[in-house]
Amino acid sequence: MNTASKRLGRIVQNGLLIIYAIFALFPLVWMLILSIKSDAEMYTTTFVFSPTLENYKAVLLESDYLQYMLDSLIVAGGAVIVSVVAGVPAAYALARYNFKKKEDIAFQILSFKFAPEILVVLPLFMIYQMLGIYDSYFGLIWVYQLISMPLLIWVVRGYFEDISVEIEYAAQVDGYNWYQIFFKNLIPLIKPGLVSAALLAFIFAWNCFTFPLMLGGTNVQPITVAITKFLGTDSAHYGQLAVAATISALPAIIFALCIQKHLVRGLSFGAVKG
Amino acid sequence: MARIQLENVTKRFGKVTALDGISLDIKDKEFFVLFGPAGAGKTTILNCIAGIQLPEEGVVKFDGEVVNLVDAAHRDTAMVFENYALYPQMTVYDNMASPLRSKLYKKDEEYIKNKVQEVAEMMKMENLLERLPSQLSNGQKQRVAMGRALVRSPRVYLMDEPLAHLDAKLRNSMRTELKAIQANFGTTSIYVTHDFMEAMSLGDRIAIVNKGKIVQIGTSDEIYYMPCNEFVAQLMGDPEINIVGGKLKKEGSGYFFTLNDVAERTYQLPEDQDLFRALDEAGLEDIELGIRPQNVKYSFEPKDDYTKCTVYSYESIGNKSVIVAEIGNLQLRMIAPNGLTVKIDQDIYVKLELDHAIFFNLETKEYVSRYNEAAVKALAAEQEG
Repeated sequence: MNTASKRLGRIVQNGLLIIYAIFALFPLVWMLILSIKSDAEMYTTTFVFSPTLENYKAVLLESDYLQYMLDSLIVAGGAVIVSVVAGVPAAYALARYNFKKKEDIAFQILSFKFAPEILVVLPLFMIYQMLGIYDSYFGLIWVYQLISMPLLIWVVRGYFEDISVEIEYAAQVDGYNWYQIFFKNLIPLIKPGLVSAALLAFIFAWNCFTFPLMLGGTNVQPITVAITKFLGTDSAHYGQLAVAATISALPAIIFALCIQKHLVRGLSFGAVKG
Repeated sequence: MARIQLENVTKRFGKVTALDGISLDIKDKEFFVLFGPAGAGKTTILNCIAGIQLPEEGVVKFDGEVVNLVDAAHRDTAMVFENYALYPQMTVYDNMASPLRSKLYKKDEEYIKNKVQEVAEMMKMENLLERLPSQLSNGQKQRVAMGRALVRSPRVYLMDEPLAHLDAKLRNSMRTELKAIQANFGTTSIYVTHDFMEAMSLGDRIAIVNKGKIVQIGTSDEIYYMPCNEFVAQLMGDPEINIVGGKLKKEGSGYFFTLNDVAERTYQLPEDQDLFRALDEAGLEDIELGIRPQNVKYSFEPKDDYTKCTVYSYESIGNKSVIVAEIGNLQLRMIAPNGLTVKIDQDIYVKLELDHAIFFNLETKEYVSRYNEAAVKALAAEQEG
């Protein structure tokens, strides 16, 4: 009975996982298929069609698609870099130093993520107009801090708190100054957290739609906003849309695959008495 | 190599006073032990000396020079942390090499290699050099932490319970080793422990710390034989000292002592002019005697001058055993040879060797006097040199 029920359990388990995988992956597969169909065959639901690269040609060579990609990369990448440079020291301060209203400040930072973007975008639009940073890389990178900074600070703060403070003391006694300790001893230990938080922040920034829609214009147009261009007023080029969406998903997927090993936590465990 | 002085050092964490006016004068080349119960402030004293924590009041001096404003890196100390504080991302070798690679104490790689090898051999861990801290047992981590301190020749070694997590055998051999190392290098060492055996065997002098204050400073024998109060007496020694309360009565030139817990049991105190003079001066009636377990004699047959008790517990601990006898509310610990057949609740006859007793004031628990005080003082003076 035991082995039989175990086997049955395994079959059910795997069956459910397969169903979930199909459920999760089917839209992506469908998108890929759409991207290699011609407009004429777009609405057929059988899998019989003659594949074509016309859509790819139209999107990559005949539109400003690459420019939009570049805009997205600059804005999302810039946002993450600023978040890392400013957020890691902030996280360190929140983890190590005791000051008045520390928890309030930490919560305040987190609460930036609570408000729906659409709620703040209108006043931001007017402020940006006045400051003259509407439709600029700087402006978008700045506003993206609302998305990436809280996430990064909270994840990295947790990592700093896990590092025993004696490790810093030991390094001081060994003759290192604060900067050396920070870069030589602390950064390697928070790296898994830093990298995964930065990756998530990048994906969120990359996927952001509301802010660039309202605060970007003709000069800076990230891919999320630009994709809508393939929806014409008279016709929708679903094939081209599919190509644009597929390619825009690539950077995040590539990054995630590259740093997969850093997503595994556990480096800082074991050196400190439990 | 340095003389370390603390003058009136006070350290507070918020509302908690961790150190309350600590003054210490640790001589050059001395092996100085800080001993006390958990939470007494021993580690905080080390941190203040290392420069990791800044005292709110008081000064820390190295060789007479105030170092309060010198940061930890520039104080030239080496510290062993109680929780090891190894760098998790570095191998054992890199951990141990770390102090020699910092800008301040820079050495060439060849020197580092030899030095690390030498220390690793001393610590019996040559085979661990390539491992990461997470692959080590607690005892091994502790040795790495020690090794990291020992590769340098600092002005002072600060060791925070460096042997606490080693197994018993290794602890004994490391204790001997440490003493030898310190004697060879002649480096001032400050050693924190809560194990009285370590404190007694290692320390040139011992400071007893309790609740952020220094209770007593002296050589191990001085503290063992002349504890300044009952707290210290109970801390030093295993099994713990017997504290016996009673009444003191002067008759003629002699003194009589009546036990509080045992009705009508009266002893005549053996003659000691110095002691009697001290008792005369103190003029106390209520008193407590401290009697070490080895000064309680026992017999299983009735004997003259022996008091009848019952056995409360019997523990054999290898080379000796400990009997706890009960009489009224009083429990007496005594040391016996092992291999006895002792039953719980059987009769036992005990005698207190009062000529080794230490006298404490019942109310203040402070030291009053003891037998042969002059001899103990002379011994202490000789040991301190």
